Amino acid sequence: MAEFKIKKGFDIKVLGKPAPEIEEYANPQLFAVYPNEFEGLKPRLKVAAGDRIKRGDILFENKKNEKMLFRSPCSGTVKAINLGARRAPIEILIEAGTQEVSVSFDSYTKESINTLSREQVVAHLLNAGMWPLIKQRPFNKIANPESTPKAIFINAASSAPFQADFSLVLKGDEEAFQVGINALAKLTEGKVYLCKSAGSNIPDFENTESHTFSGKYPSGNTSVHINRISPIQPTDTVYTLVAQDVILIGKLLITGELPRTKIIAIGGPAVREASRKHYRVALGASLTPLFAKVLETDQELRVISGNILWGDTVKSDTSVRYYGSEFFVLEEDRSRQLMGWTMPGLLQYSSHRVNLSTLLCKAKTWKLGTSLNGSHRAMVVTGWMDRHQPLNIMTDFLIRAALAHDTDEMIQLGILETDPEDFALASFVDPHKTDVCKIIKQGLEEIEEEGI
Amino acid sequence: MKFLFDFMDKNIAPLFEKGGKLERLYPLFEAGDTFTRTPAEVTPSAPHVRDSIDQKRLMVFVVYALLPCLFFGMWNAGHLFNINNNVEGATFLTDMLRGATMVLPIVMVSYMVGGVWEVLFAIVRRHEINEGFLVTGMLFPLVLPPTLPLWQVAIGISFGIIIGKEIFGGVGYNILNPALTGRAFLFFAYPAQISGDKVWIGSAKTTLDNSLLGTVAENVDGVTAATPLAVAAAAEQGSSAIQALADSGFDLWNMTVGTISGCIGSTSVIAILIGMAFLLITGIASWRVMLSGVIGVVVIGALFNALPAEKFSAFSQLPFYYHLVMGGFLFGIVFMATDPVSCAATNTGKYIYGFLIGGLTVVIRVANPAYPEGAMLAILFMNVMAPLIDHFVVQSHIKKRTAYARALNHA
Repeated sequence: MAEFKIKKGFDIKVLGKPAPEIEEYANPQLFAVYPNEFEGLKPRLKVAAGDRIKRGDILFENKKNEKMLFRSPCSGTVKAINLGARRAPIEILIEAGTQEVSVSFDSYTKESINTLSREQVVAHLLNAGMWPLIKQRPFNKIANPESTPKAIFINAASSAPFQADFSLVLKGDEEAFQVGINALAKLTEGKVYLCKSAGSNIPDFENTESHTFSGKYPSGNTSVHINRISPIQPTDTVYTLVAQDVILIGKLLITGELPRTKIIAIGGPAVREASRKHYRVALGASLTPLFAKVLETDQELRVISGNILWGDTVKSDTSVRYYGSEFFVLEEDRSRQLMGWTMPGLLQYSSHRVNLSTLLCKAKTWKLGTSLNGSHRAMVVTGWMDRHQPLNIMTDFLIRAALAHDTDEMIQLGILETDPEDFALASFVDPHKTDVCKIIKQGLEEIEEEGI
Repeated sequence: MKFLFDFMDKNIAPLFEKGGKLERLYPLFEAGDTFTRTPAEVTPSAPHVRDSIDQKRLMVFVVYALLPCLFFGMWNAGHLFNINNNVEGATFLTDMLRGATMVLPIVMVSYMVGGVWEVLFAIVRRHEINEGFLVTGMLFPLVLPPTLPLWQVAIGISFGIIIGKEIFGGVGYNILNPALTGRAFLFFAYPAQISGDKVWIGSAKTTLDNSLLGTVAENVDGVTAATPLAVAAAAEQGSSAIQALADSGFDLWNMTVGTISGCIGSTSVIAILIGMAFLLITGIASWRVMLSGVIGVVVIGALFNALPAEKFSAFSQLPFYYHLVMGGFLFGIVFMATDPVSCAATNTGKYIYGFLIGGLTVVIRVANPAYPEGAMLAILFMNVMAPLIDHFVVQSHIKKRTAYARALNHA
């Protein structure tokens, strides 16, 4: 148990924090699974449009590891399978049937789980389609079942605007969380670390070592936790999970059937004020009716699966996704400001001291939009990218190495300790609008391809 | 206004966009379009919001920081002209106007010629016009004497922009500060017009004779006025450099206020400090470079002071604080050395870089009186050395970070 104070960081003051209350949202008719959520995965479909399937039937498997299965969140009929580029399936739509039929798996208790071997846990999770919830660093991809992680990091912290409040999510599911932890503890010879935000109301659990992190964003990022607790060498592997996913794994083990619901936070300036809160939703369930109710409708909107700093843009008819516990919605801001380069900047948000608003509106929360607020220019090294970087990383030089495809130098500069999300603030503050996250991502992909 | 913008978007913009008739001139259109209004572009992916700062604002704020120097320089040029040419009835206004007729043409030529090069390269290379030339175009005239012939201004800025910047690929890729490169070129190519004691004060021949600006009573040909640096360098060994300065009419006070002959923008310490305060408050320029630069002058200046007076020149005995207010050092360290492109990129590197600029300035001034303007050469030299400094800083960073990870893992 240690407390880590993260000194560097920056909190984006954006409007729309979800309230700490949970609303039940039930009874959707349409479900969807998105195979393209699993980056780099080559899926082999096991169903076709029109098939009748049970809840828990196999939808597709991983071509490279056929033991890794992906299962249906509901029973009913496969309505359509939409293909993307190169005919890869990107969306499997399932219409819920009137009668639910479920596939069942072995069930365990808190104690019996401890008698399992590592192989049994791995096989069980792979078979039930829950293994992909476990990610692996470096490269932040689905964990390799064969690798031997030196530690497992469970991220129960939140620092980005906005992440689901795990103390709220945990309420009532403490046992499932403990069972999930016990199963995970089987996967490593090292420790399982539970990383919390300071001030959050989360108890300690058996089989884990708890650590608290205080400070501004990105104090809740997994990379920061790993860096402070047990930094990775190029040859190390660690597993990482989001805390709510541990509950899902626990529920699978206790009940012997696929978990039904998870809690998502919906926030952001374009969500109606009264609707900014947490929702208990069915896994895979279509969110179209919910979004129709909670979103402002008179603007062009961007729905993000994730938070404002890190997440994918998704269509507004999306379903609850495999990964992620939050949605952020904001206005697609294409407005053009008159002579923005010289205006006093009272109405524009900035982290720099070049706007009057930085001095005068310290307490304000902003209704931010997606405007790039400038045009792309050649990168000039200002040192600003590192200003909010708590990791010991020289961002400017790492970017240069990545742009030069110099994999050795990237590794030396510590790219393996990072994930593109750790550079969200660097992208945010940059006046030249460099897409830092994308450059780092390409760098990591290159290293993965070449091998360390 | 709205009507005009709609007309632009519908009828003018398509001409310059891909497939339009004037596609090659797109950079020119982009510059004008984003000058009037911020672009409508949205973030392509995460992070989904961006800070409202952009390069335009960044660069324009540096130009704002230079304005006190420009205005003081204009007044000072006019004031010195009027005094030395015995102009009758000179007032603040006529000083200012007279100065404007001398300084503004230099600024305009610098911007126009520099702008043409910038646009030309942007169109040929098909990249956007970079706002960096706004700063270069203003910095360059401020380090020139007010009497410099305009054709030399044009040649100097051309050299600075092409050799100092564009052949490397434009803003962000250059090694040297373009404005200083241009000045160094003029300094070595046309020394008669940029150094010596005849170039600092305009004569009736070098400016307009207009009754509105006051009548030149006596047509003085070639007013002689040395700069403090030249005076101090010329002081004989064994004598007092302070006394030599005082004999020529220089003391700490007028060198601080800036009512002395010198380059347009760099005489007034007060005007520079106002610009510096603006840069530091807005956080645009690096305080590390400025602070360590001043420390460099103080330390090396004090070292020279400690040398035995009988063996070294009078200049070496000049108290170190004189070096801070004399010549172009302060202007250089605040506006030139902090140029983020040519300056060291690492924080540790910035301290080393700034300190060496300060130290080298004093060394060049004292040890090599042939080039009294040591700051320019010191900054250019350190521009070249900056990547080397960064290299060593990054290497030591790499060593430290692996050592740290190992230590934690075996703890």
